[in-house]
Amino acid sequence: MIVRMSKIEVVGLRQDLEAVLETLWQDGHLHIDPSTVGFVDEKERGAIHSLLPDEKTVFEKLFLTDLRDKLDTLLGLLPNVKVRQSHFSPALLLDSISARIDGHLAQCAELDRRRAALVAEREGLGRYRALFAQLEGLLADLEKAPDLEYIGLSFEGQGGERLVRKALDTLIGDAYELFIDRQGDLGSCGLLVVEKSLAGQVRSRLAEKKVPELSLPGLDPELPFAGRLRLLAGREAALDQELADCVRQLEAFAGRWGPLYLASREWIKQRLSLLQASGMVFESTLCFFVYGWIPAADVEALRGVLAERFLGRVHLEVLAIRRSDTSRVPVLLKNPPLLRPFENFTRLLPLPAYSSYDPTPFIAFFFPLFFGMILGDAGYGLLLLLLGLLLQKKAGHRSRLLADAGAVLRFASLYAILFGLLYAEFFGDLPARFFNLHPILDRHTKILPLLYFALAVGGVHVLFGLGLGVVAAWRGQEHRKALAKGLHILLLFCAAFLVIASVGGHPELRSRPVLVAVAVLCPALLFTGGLLAPLELLKDFGNIVSYARIMAIGLTSVLLAYVANRLAGATGDVFLGLLVGALIHLMNMVIGVFSSTIHSIRLHYVEFFDKFLEFGGRHYQPLHKEDTANTSESGGTT
Amino acid sequence: MNDILLAFAAALAIGLPALATAWAQSRIGAAGAGTLAEKPELSGTIIILVAIPETMVILGFVVAVIILLGGQPG
Repeated sequence: MIVRMSKIEVVGLRQDLEAVLETLWQDGHLHIDPSTVGFVDEKERGAIHSLLPDEKTVFEKLFLTDLRDKLDTLLGLLPNVKVRQSHFSPALLLDSISARIDGHLAQCAELDRRRAALVAEREGLGRYRALFAQLEGLLADLEKAPDLEYIGLSFEGQGGERLVRKALDTLIGDAYELFIDRQGDLGSCGLLVVEKSLAGQVRSRLAEKKVPELSLPGLDPELPFAGRLRLLAGREAALDQELADCVRQLEAFAGRWGPLYLASREWIKQRLSLLQASGMVFESTLCFFVYGWIPAADVEALRGVLAERFLGRVHLEVLAIRRSDTSRVPVLLKNPPLLRPFENFTRLLPLPAYSSYDPTPFIAFFFPLFFGMILGDAGYGLLLLLLGLLLQKKAGHRSRLLADAGAVLRFASLYAILFGLLYAEFFGDLPARFFNLHPILDRHTKILPLLYFALAVGGVHVLFGLGLGVVAAWRGQEHRKALAKGLHILLLFCAAFLVIASVGGHPELRSRPVLVAVAVLCPALLFTGGLLAPLELLKDFGNIVSYARIMAIGLTSVLLAYVANRLAGATGDVFLGLLVGALIHLMNMVIGVFSSTIHSIRLHYVEFFDKFLEFGGRHYQPLHKEDTANTSESGGTT
Repeated sequence: MNDILLAFAAALAIGLPALATAWAQSRIGAAGAGTLAEKPELSGTIIILVAIPETMVILGFVVAVIILLGGQPG
């Protein structure tokens, strides 16, 4: 349901403004409107203007914004550790915090920079270690040759190796030896052996060709190649030690200063939101004016709070909502807990306009119905019911979305069981095979009656949508539009009458009055709905025919279930038959759940909502105290 | 011969709209995926746009059923 809103004006003396804003902020229900449009008459606008902040407020805002940015940066540098809650009041310590924060920021930035450098070096060493391990076998025979230079290389694919050989052939002929190891996971690597006198120009040429040399960061480049490998392990251990030390220092800092800085940041955010709200306030010579929207049910509570705190100095006035205001009224959707899981489908669409409807209750009623009509198997329904209950139990408070999915599945599966009983389907035609049970509606053979049934359901759904559209248009004072929609309904009834008369085998119904009614209603439709109205009417017919998918998708599902049972029976073996049947039924159930969901929701979005729903509502964003709970957005400390 | 022609007509009635729907959905789906990458909040609109061409194949299905069953209740 769309919550009914009240348009209010809060008026008081200017010296009370800050306290009033704080009260409104703590109450947490008022959506402040930053404009006087719709609140103040044109002739009175000259006497009221936006509240201009004084020098102190501007300075405070700048100071707090700067401090908040620094705190964001500082907390972002700290590791993710749980810290205690601060018992200090940040308001009293702001000057001290401001004086200290630059030093702390520099200290943490240095620690973080060092940590990042160590991590990068450690990762680099790990990569080199893997490559050096590949070369270990090649090094065994070459350590004792002092006149030779060993250059480690890494290649990406055969192209790199060919490039190096070609470059070396051109440069030094055959005065080199290149050992390649292609067994590693990280690409091939090689060991190039050349005379020491040629090493310089070989390195230059390799650099020109952009062939990476395996060198160890932090180790002496003059060190023999084989010796580098031995030092690798020692360097890694030292890096681990330094890294742990660095992280320990950051954690110690977070433990000591994190609580105060987190509390300060939250306090500053709240304070800034109050200062920002003061920018949406208006003033006259003596008074301030706050305009906004509040759920109608919360008006009296707020009035009471203001009266109690300001002893009559602040007045709350409820203003009349005019027709021109409807596009500006913020929209808040509120549904009973039973319907709330279906709000996830509503959220996929833009917010409905205030004068329109909340589509959630309609989805909650029709979605499970269509889902059940399409899937229509008691066995699948039972399994899905268990899955839904399991999802709700396991997801609990951890994942709201999963819990909602479980609730929706639970409702939908109940309808699947109900229609499964009507169709006498329990994992396909098992009831007919084993118990000789015959369905009330046999989906397998009664194709045309079920097609008419699906179209009839579509007709009712579309007509219901058009009916809602008539009501919405009438409420919005769009009488002509309401009349056009009403004529659509009458013409659809006439068409249904004629179709039943011709296809349904009741020629006695094809009476002259219906044809006369159509002849009268069509010009009236053109007059009220314009030249495109007949096209709209055709679209309505198309929309109704679209509901044939309920039967079509259902038919594919039931045929697959039959195939599963026949194949299971054809195996001639109990266990193999059970396995084959279970697998195909599982596949059919998964496909059935997806297609039933998608097509049911599509029938709402495209065919149903188009008839009455208007989008474009403004989000309801009340001025409220955020739930801080010492959480951080950018930082890791919690 | 008559049955063969009926079956052929029914196959065409559902086959051609199915191809048309597939082609339309492939174009809309590709564009929709690109849109969602930049604006995930438009998922509802994209679902609607992708779903619109499906009506063609459903209409084709209805026509095919009527061709095969001759409008007589099964």
